Amino acid sequence: MKRNTMSYKVQQFLMFAGVAAVLFCAVVVIPFVYGIYLTLTSWDGIAKTKPFVGLANYAEAFKDVAYWQALGRTAIYSIFAVVLINVVAFALAYLVTSGIKGQNFFRAGFFVPNLIGGIVLGYVWKFVFNRAFVAIASKIANQQVPSLLSTTSGAMFCLVLVSVWQFAGYMMLIYVAGFMSVSDALKEAAMIDGCTPAQAMWNVTIPLMRASFVQCIFLSITRCFVIYDVNLSLTKGEPFNTSVMAAMHVYNTAFTYKKYGLGQAEALILFVVCAVVGITQVYIGKKGEVAA
Amino acid sequence: MKKHFKRAAAALFAGILAAGLLAGCGGGAASSSDSGSASGDGVAISVFNSKMEIQEQLEEKAAEYSEEKGVDVEVYYSSDTVAAHLATRYSSNEPYTLSMVDAKDVYALAEEHALDLSDQEWVANTTQAVSVNGKVYGFPVCVEARGIIYNADAIKKATGEDFDPESIKTTDDFKAIIDKCKAGGMESPVGVMKEDWSLAGHFLAEVYEQHEDPDAFISGVQDGSIKLIEDQKFNDMMDTFDVLRDNNYAKDAAISAEREVTEQKLAEGEIAFMFGGNWDWSVINAYDYSENMGMMPVPNNSGDGSDSKLVGGGSKYFFIDSSENTTPEQQQAAKDFLNWLANDPEGQEFVVTDCALVPPFSNNTLEVTDPLGKSVKKYADADALIGNYNYLPDDHYSVVGASMQKYLAGEIDRAGLADEVTKYWATAEVGAH
Repeated sequence: MKRNTMSYKVQQFLMFAGVAAVLFCAVVVIPFVYGIYLTLTSWDGIAKTKPFVGLANYAEAFKDVAYWQALGRTAIYSIFAVVLINVVAFALAYLVTSGIKGQNFFRAGFFVPNLIGGIVLGYVWKFVFNRAFVAIASKIANQQVPSLLSTTSGAMFCLVLVSVWQFAGYMMLIYVAGFMSVSDALKEAAMIDGCTPAQAMWNVTIPLMRASFVQCIFLSITRCFVIYDVNLSLTKGEPFNTSVMAAMHVYNTAFTYKKYGLGQAEALILFVVCAVVGITQVYIGKKGEVAA
Repeated sequence: MKKHFKRAAAALFAGILAAGLLAGCGGGAASSSDSGSASGDGVAISVFNSKMEIQEQLEEKAAEYSEEKGVDVEVYYSSDTVAAHLATRYSSNEPYTLSMVDAKDVYALAEEHALDLSDQEWVANTTQAVSVNGKVYGFPVCVEARGIIYNADAIKKATGEDFDPESIKTTDDFKAIIDKCKAGGMESPVGVMKEDWSLAGHFLAEVYEQHEDPDAFISGVQDGSIKLIEDQKFNDMMDTFDVLRDNNYAKDAAISAEREVTEQKLAEGEIAFMFGGNWDWSVINAYDYSENMGMMPVPNNSGDGSDSKLVGGGSKYFFIDSSENTTPEQQQAAKDFLNWLANDPEGQEFVVTDCALVPPFSNNTLEVTDPLGKSVKKYADADALIGNYNYLPDDHYSVVGASMQKYLAGEIDRAGLADEVTKYWATAEVGAH
């Protein structure tokens, strides 16, 4: 059988990637393209006609103050969350690879929050913030203390905290793999050359783990930018709609306020922002990657 | 030879997977057309319920109904926004035969998606049906109204006197009874729900609704000819709101007060008043509630009679899908189901007794069971209901609700609130009607 004919190549492609390609088209590519078309209409989500309005939705999206506020809020939240997630994840990974007793148990334990769905997790934490913390704080202060979730900055703090709790375990696994991939011989060599453990970590281990950092930061940025489930169940945008993140605003605009075209346009802008941030970060990160 | 066999097997396997994928899609289409053709012998209709508290009852009754009438009734529920949920069903060409929606949804959907029900028997027996351009499209499920919910037992316990809701007319009367309760040992006799739908969709909406002509009032606010902060009604109602707010048991943590906790306190008599509606019974019901509860109008100082009327009317409406996805047989079966709800003794009992709803039909004379429903029925029978304003924009409760929450938390004052509400209306448009 000839291996360089077109039909052979097509056959091989279909055999290995056909199913995946069909699925990918069906659930990602086609909806995405159709979504772009919908941004050019003033469809309300349910009417039979989809009136064509050109770029009016984009013009309106740029004028939608609440949307840009939500996007700005999301950016601030993402900065805090991404930094904390990665710091915590790295620290945990260091801890569970340092050879402490029962480290496999800890690895599993730290990973568990990631297995709980965002909605459930939000409700659990809501209970903790609204009831448990309030009860404890009120006992200590000897007066009724308002819940953290009822203040603007408190609600944002809670969102960051819960996200860190949820994602740190997952990122930890990637860092653990990073730690394991750095050969002990290199660290030992550095120590023999006179490095302190901290210097060895900073100058040898971390540069060699760069790939893990790039990956973890990319994953946490993209996840944080499109946060929805925890946002919905933990704060629902309250208090005073000051914890509405970009994705929630998009959902509300499209479905609750029945401006489907506008919501879709805002979603597309969110996608572009997210993609630009993510790709820039990966590009910068990859550029200085060191091969071990 | 062996190599070829392996390759063939792999190709076959991939083919099976792919076929399975396509069959999966095809299967879905086939089953939905099946249900259409099956309507010859036993018609099947789907009912969308958006009233969570009656889901169980509805499912049970649907099973009974299916058995009795030979019409297969399938009940669905979703906690999603009604319009968003229906949108997904319509875009997959699988609309419900019967959908329970809010009044504003009927106005939005009727002309394209709903069946004209003007010729139905029940139309003559209700004042609450929703019509668009002179045609009836919405079948009212129940009557619901808003006001101040009181716990008379708790008040009696605190003041030592029987509570007469009729005696509370003005904000000052209201304040007096609250002070009396306080003097009797009830520390903070009021609960305030912080939910945006309650604050903006229900309480602030009363400011619009209590105006003679809400449309004129809103367009006045929109074009600036009416200054909200100078409006008598707005100030009267907010005066009452201030009394509620200042006596809120969760005054220092108003924004984190949970609805269930508030209603439990009300039910068990720890607090005596809460602004709400008869739908709150489904929550109060879950606790060890006091016998003597009820609803009274929101007291206010305007002296225009609004202090003796609840605000409300029909709530939740059924419409029948008119698209080609629903066969005439299914439409007929849906009409029969609605008629059964309105006119059949069994259907009437289902609405009133099983679901504890206040019936919107004058020929349904069954006694309402729950105390809040009783109050609503009393005011409805006396024609003392101020109608709902069903044309508020979809983002009203959320945007203005945030402003009301700020006011509740003391972050803005009344002028600030009036300012934010006015700003909202400057760009908002009321729904078509």
